[in-house]
Amino acid sequence: MGFAGSGVEIASVAGDVPVPATPPITPKLPPREWLKENLFSNKFNTALTIASAAVLLAIARGLLAFIFHPERQWHATATNLRLSMTQAYPADQYTRVWVSVAVIMTLVGLSMAVWRAGQAVALDALGRKLLSYGAILALLVLLAPFSSRATLIGLAAAAAFLAVGEVLRRRDDDDRTISSLTLLVASLGALVGSLWVIPYGHHSFIIDRTPRVLAEPGTVAMTTKLPWTVMLLVGIAAYFIGRALRDRLPVNAFRTTILLVWFLAPTTLLYLVLRDPSFDMGHVISTDVPIWAVFTVAGTGLLLWLTRPTTGEIGRIVAALVLVAALASFLTPMRMIIRLLLLLLGLFSLAAPTFAGDVSARRRYSGGWVGVISVLCWTVTAINTPSTIEVPGDFFIGGLSLTLMVAIFTIVVSFPLGLLLALARTSKMPIFRLLATWFIEFVRGIPLITILIFFSVMVPLFLPNGMHLSEVSAVVVGYALFSSAYLAENVRGGLQSVTRGQHEAAEAVGMTTGQKTVFIVLPQALRVSIPPLVGHCIGVFKETSLLAIIGLFDVLYIARNVVPNQTEFLGSTRENLLFVVVIYWVFAYQMSKASQRLERRSGLGER
Amino acid sequence: MTTSTDPSSSTTRAAISGRPPLWRDVVVLKWVTQVVLLAVVLSAMWFLATQAGDNLKARNISTGFDFIDRPPDIQLSEGIDTKPATGGRALWVGMVNTLRIAAVGIIFATILGVFVGLARLSNNWLVRRLGTMWVEVLRNVPLLVQIIFYFSVLTTLPRVGLDSGPINGWLHISNKGFSMPRVFMADGFYQWLVVVLIGALAGWFVHRRRTRLHDATGVNTSPNLWALSTVAVFGIIGLFIHPVFAWLGPVFGAVASGLDSLSVGVAQTVLIAVAVGAAALWIRRFLANHRSARGHLSLIDDEWFRIIFVAIAALAVAFVVLRWGGLSSWMLNSGRDLFEAIEAKFDVDGAARPFDAMRPDIVQKGMFPNYGVNGLQMSIGFASVFFGVVFYTSAFIGENVRGGILAIPKGQTEAAAAIGLRRSQSLRHVVLPQAMRVILPPTGNQYLNLTKNTSLAVAVGYSDMVQVGTTVFNQTGKTLPVVSIWMLFYLSCSLTISVIVNWFNVRMQLVER
Repeated sequence: MGFAGSGVEIASVAGDVPVPATPPITPKLPPREWLKENLFSNKFNTALTIASAAVLLAIARGLLAFIFHPERQWHATATNLRLSMTQAYPADQYTRVWVSVAVIMTLVGLSMAVWRAGQAVALDALGRKLLSYGAILALLVLLAPFSSRATLIGLAAAAAFLAVGEVLRRRDDDDRTISSLTLLVASLGALVGSLWVIPYGHHSFIIDRTPRVLAEPGTVAMTTKLPWTVMLLVGIAAYFIGRALRDRLPVNAFRTTILLVWFLAPTTLLYLVLRDPSFDMGHVISTDVPIWAVFTVAGTGLLLWLTRPTTGEIGRIVAALVLVAALASFLTPMRMIIRLLLLLLGLFSLAAPTFAGDVSARRRYSGGWVGVISVLCWTVTAINTPSTIEVPGDFFIGGLSLTLMVAIFTIVVSFPLGLLLALARTSKMPIFRLLATWFIEFVRGIPLITILIFFSVMVPLFLPNGMHLSEVSAVVVGYALFSSAYLAENVRGGLQSVTRGQHEAAEAVGMTTGQKTVFIVLPQALRVSIPPLVGHCIGVFKETSLLAIIGLFDVLYIARNVVPNQTEFLGSTRENLLFVVVIYWVFAYQMSKASQRLERRSGLGER
Repeated sequence: MTTSTDPSSSTTRAAISGRPPLWRDVVVLKWVTQVVLLAVVLSAMWFLATQAGDNLKARNISTGFDFIDRPPDIQLSEGIDTKPATGGRALWVGMVNTLRIAAVGIIFATILGVFVGLARLSNNWLVRRLGTMWVEVLRNVPLLVQIIFYFSVLTTLPRVGLDSGPINGWLHISNKGFSMPRVFMADGFYQWLVVVLIGALAGWFVHRRRTRLHDATGVNTSPNLWALSTVAVFGIIGLFIHPVFAWLGPVFGAVASGLDSLSVGVAQTVLIAVAVGAAALWIRRFLANHRSARGHLSLIDDEWFRIIFVAIAALAVAFVVLRWGGLSSWMLNSGRDLFEAIEAKFDVDGAARPFDAMRPDIVQKGMFPNYGVNGLQMSIGFASVFFGVVFYTSAFIGENVRGGILAIPKGQTEAAAAIGLRRSQSLRHVVLPQAMRVILPPTGNQYLNLTKNTSLAVAVGYSDMVQVGTTVFNQTGKTLPVVSIWMLFYLSCSLTISVIVNWFNVRMQLVER
């Protein structure tokens, strides 16, 4: 096949390709015709409209009647907010919780600025949205069993929505826009402002006086209105700082730093801020620091040498020897941390030729080694240090914090595991593939609850004497194993979408299998599998509710088994459960919306 | 990047001699890595197992499946047997309950899911919105929270009274659950079933005949309708003539005594022959498939590995059968028991009816009135799990249905209209068959999820497999055996469902080339 021929082909194809068509502009119908077109176009359609309107009205009416029934004990939820969020975290240490929230808010603000979040919203579109909100609100107010005064207030609010919406919609200059971030801050501001009027989350409930919910005498940290105001201001300030910095600093370095901080934040916040470990400084200085120092110096030297392109054959033999030594160390009595570090050093040495190159590449690789072992050493030290936080029960935090923590740690642990499993399953090496396939299919065949029960009951039996693993950690390990099997399947889909040509091209320029996988295949595969991976994360978040079955104090357990058993609030199960439904729904729905926006913005999933 | 620039290095010498040294030979390295990993995995498992054994011994907990034959002290909330005589029987009741709720749930979730998917594609704005709300709300709330919420709402229903409603004697709703009339298989059912099976055979012949007629003449002969009517006719006739098959009982009895007289050795031989024969057949076919047109055979190491693996598996089965003879005699005994049970089903009064029906009743034995045994009952535990899995799964199935229909190019419907098909015809013959291809695989996955999700019943006290198992190991301390039974059970459920879905899937696929 010659070039001339293909040139002709291209020309003829190009001639046939139509001009990229803009979608046909559908004219906006006037309301009467719109109704006729969409609701009453024929008899069947009319019947459907009436039936579904009846269903909708019945559902709304039932829900409102339930929510505003005088017997409902919404005080149960409002008073126990602190319990649902952090369980029995000690009151005198509560500032730690707010510090953690502030760190997260700072990171969110910075990331929003650096990644240029937000988009322009046209004012007339906003007006139409407000109009529909106003209409829905008016309808709900009319349906709800309110007193006439409450109905009037509700209707006034709806009328305000309608009026603002109509004014915005009627504006002549069509192209005026407003940033979606401004809208976000405005609605969060309204939420925070409402805390100054209604005292949610305060901890005293006195049944025979009004108002029944009182602010408990105590520190500011135990209230909600001032801390949340500060949190919102922190977020806004971080956003503006990020905006000021993003033009002055190199973009990529700034983004990488923020990503690293995001990655390290959960462990740091949990173990250093929330758990408040009491370090035994003598032990730390005599044992932990020397071990870390030895491995830093020796490992850096070894890796700098191994990544030299001239090292050649002998380097591989040394790397294999390190790995063998690491495996052998499991047969002799030794500190677990030394075994783990040796094993890690063996893996790093084996992978070293893949990252060989000039001085900067070698420095980066050894820098990565130092970073990884620093985090590992520090985490292991922190985990093994007793906490100073005194709480009843096995674990120092509960409620929604536990739910989020388990979800985050599960995803962080299962991601590398799932990646390895996916690579093993698509590998050409039969034993790897067989092990990975069996593991994945086995885990996918059984329900999560059996795995959780197994790990919460059985893990103490499998551990050697003297080793202790808290129930929460055991459950996270089990959950991460479960999640990694599903994650591997998502990644496998991405791996299979990488075309053969990419593999062949990588081999043609002389890449090793490791280099091909790390630099060519995985980046493309992961990009394709972002949408299913986000879906997976939502699933992991939702299924943390199963912790309630094995008796951990997550938000569901507290809502179902703790609050309804308090003497003031006997039988308030349904109210609390509805609250939990709303919490889960808001989180999961926002995440799925965000992932859809991400897909649309980056054009993922359209290839 | 790892190539050496030193001309005297081993790499260069190896390149000259044509074969790399052992430690650079990719084939050797790959196999060494794999064997090392396998060794590490196996030794880790061995380490954990011995550790668990030691710990169990130290705590005086015995493992073993002896609880299956021991009488447990368990009261189950519902099922075919609420006071099981043995631990095994209790687990069996749990299994049946799980399968029951999964089967009913799959049927209803499919129906509801199709409606939800169609609603989201409707021309009607309000219906579309309703569908979207259904999906977005139910998909984003965890199933467990939903189940517990439904349960807490259902517990607030009124208590059972002697004249409780809504339609006393026909339909009762209370915090004990629902009770409604029930149609059940009576003693003559199995004889009637024989008539229907003969009818099905006849229906198959009719179907084939009508299809041939259609192929020959081109006239619409509606073979499906004919076949179904044939079966229906046999079913109706069977209601009157079913006692004529009473003679089948002794036949099954003869089979049972035949099985009883077989020795264990015969069973072992048959089992081993089946295992080895299947492996040999597979290997022969595998080799035939990998032979080129000239009969030349070239296998890569992966394919050798597969052949060796199948051979080893067959030998392992043979070893297990030979080593544990109890397995074979257990299978023989079970077969005998099965045929004896069938014999008993045929040994009935000639006037027995195939079906019977009963209305629900309310009885008062102690302080409070309660449901009697006559009606078809659905406890609120069952109801909340049922509503939970059905609503939750219907949202996902609805999205699959919507995606499948949207995946059909517009040209297909337009072409169908152009050759004069009506809208219903184009939906049935053009759109749906193509959409099914897209809908089925993810929906099969949802069926699997639904089956596994029924395990959440443990949260509301419905006696499913997990709930019964938890009760059993809390009493006996036999966690490991119970968990292994769970895993075996759920794995076989998953396997069965995926085999069925795959079978449909293969039938649905486009046959290309």
